[in-house]
Amino acid sequence: MAGKKDELVYVDSKGKRVDGRKVEDLRPIKIEVGVIPQADGSAYLEWGQNKAFASVYGPRECLPKHSASPYKAVVKFNYRMATFSVPDRKNPRPGRREYEISKVCGEALERSIFVERFPNTQIDVTVELFDSNAGSRIAGLCAASVALADAGIPMRGLVCGTGVGKAGGKIIVDLDKTEEDAPDAVDIPLAIISNTKEVVLMQLDGILSKKEWQQAMKMGIDASLKVHEIQKAALKARYENVKGDDKK
Amino acid sequence: MAKRLVVPGELVTEERKKLGSHVYISEGKIYSDSIGLVDDESNFASVVPLEGKYLPQVNDLVLGVISSEKFAGYVVDINSFYPSFISKKELREMLKPGSVVSAKVLKVNELNEVDLGSIRTFFGGEILTISPVKIPRVIGRDCSMLNVLKAGTKSNLIVGKNGWIWAKGGDTDLLKKAIDKIGAEAHMSNLTQRMSDFLGVKQQKNDAEYIEETEEMDEYEGEE
Repeated sequence: MAGKKDELVYVDSKGKRVDGRKVEDLRPIKIEVGVIPQADGSAYLEWGQNKAFASVYGPRECLPKHSASPYKAVVKFNYRMATFSVPDRKNPRPGRREYEISKVCGEALERSIFVERFPNTQIDVTVELFDSNAGSRIAGLCAASVALADAGIPMRGLVCGTGVGKAGGKIIVDLDKTEEDAPDAVDIPLAIISNTKEVVLMQLDGILSKKEWQQAMKMGIDASLKVHEIQKAALKARYENVKGDDKK
Repeated sequence: MAKRLVVPGELVTEERKKLGSHVYISEGKIYSDSIGLVDDESNFASVVPLEGKYLPQVNDLVLGVISSEKFAGYVVDINSFYPSFISKKELREMLKPGSVVSAKVLKVNELNEVDLGSIRTFFGGEILTISPVKIPRVIGRDCSMLNVLKAGTKSNLIVGKNGWIWAKGGDTDLLKKAIDKIGAEAHMSNLTQRMSDFLGVKQQKNDAEYIEETEEMDEYEGEE
């Protein structure tokens, strides 16, 4: 460790991070599909310490009617955090941050869905976070995308993503809370459509040089595709695990 | 008959094939747009979906439940995006909210709103539900599955394409279990055989009829 006691080394000489991961490693991800029986589609996702439930209803009649579009289905994305999801109690009332995340995630999903096939309808997507520790919007978005596939809504591809950024002068993938709080931290939530690699969500706070930026994007897209493999496996597992009882 | 499970955005084929349902083209390759099964040996690049809502098509037989009465007719829920409407002119009897009707889809407009005709009302019985995309498996090739269900449970059945099944008489509890089993195992082959074992129905003479269907069912008539 460096001289001062409170100075963390984010990436040590062996390329290990604070929690023992390498720079390009993701936190462990677990996805379960079809957890909410009354929803048209649902998914539960654990991403490191993040825990998210996503449920999908629709396409169904768009209410209030003035919000409907005769050209496409409207995606109504709702991102909520439970009061106990962060160390200090979170006010259950949705704040600026939740409205913003709901908007950007809804727009990201709308790019992947064939919305023009369902005019005048709405697709409700609700993401509820029960535990959060950095990168929760991407966790919610990945869960929502799996839930949409489970609902049978036609899509160009699954939306997969990850956080990518800089801490301690090094470009790293999937920052956790300690890394996000680094003095020079840069955090980029990044989401792409799996097969076209079209970027559907990207936000950036902080400063990166052009070189760092190019490296971050490359690492981010590679890591997102790893997330996609996990999503795919989770969706398929639901059907592959069903065994006929009497195959003689 | 190897069938492959695909998720949205997964490659169906790089070959040039005729386009079936639930696929799209991007940069000359064919991709799936929903979770479903692909038959690689088929001439068509198509995906048989495993989940999804009912999208009304002309000439479908659907079941509906009356949700409210208006001055000139009834609002009827057909398990689609919007409720439909049937006029009192077409009916002889009075209906109440909760009444079950069957109807033919006469017209579907560009917003997927439905005009219904040839309405029949049903008394008693109950409605069982299954995902609308699994209705072809409930009927089976040449109604083979439907015949097994009828023989095994002695119920009267009307199967609506919107995922609702009206049943009266016979062993409806057993029927419900059977329908749930079809819903859970719809993606596996040789389902009719397993269902007839489940319901204790003796296999019929013609084995060839029990080869499972891979494509969407042809037209069928609802029968009592």
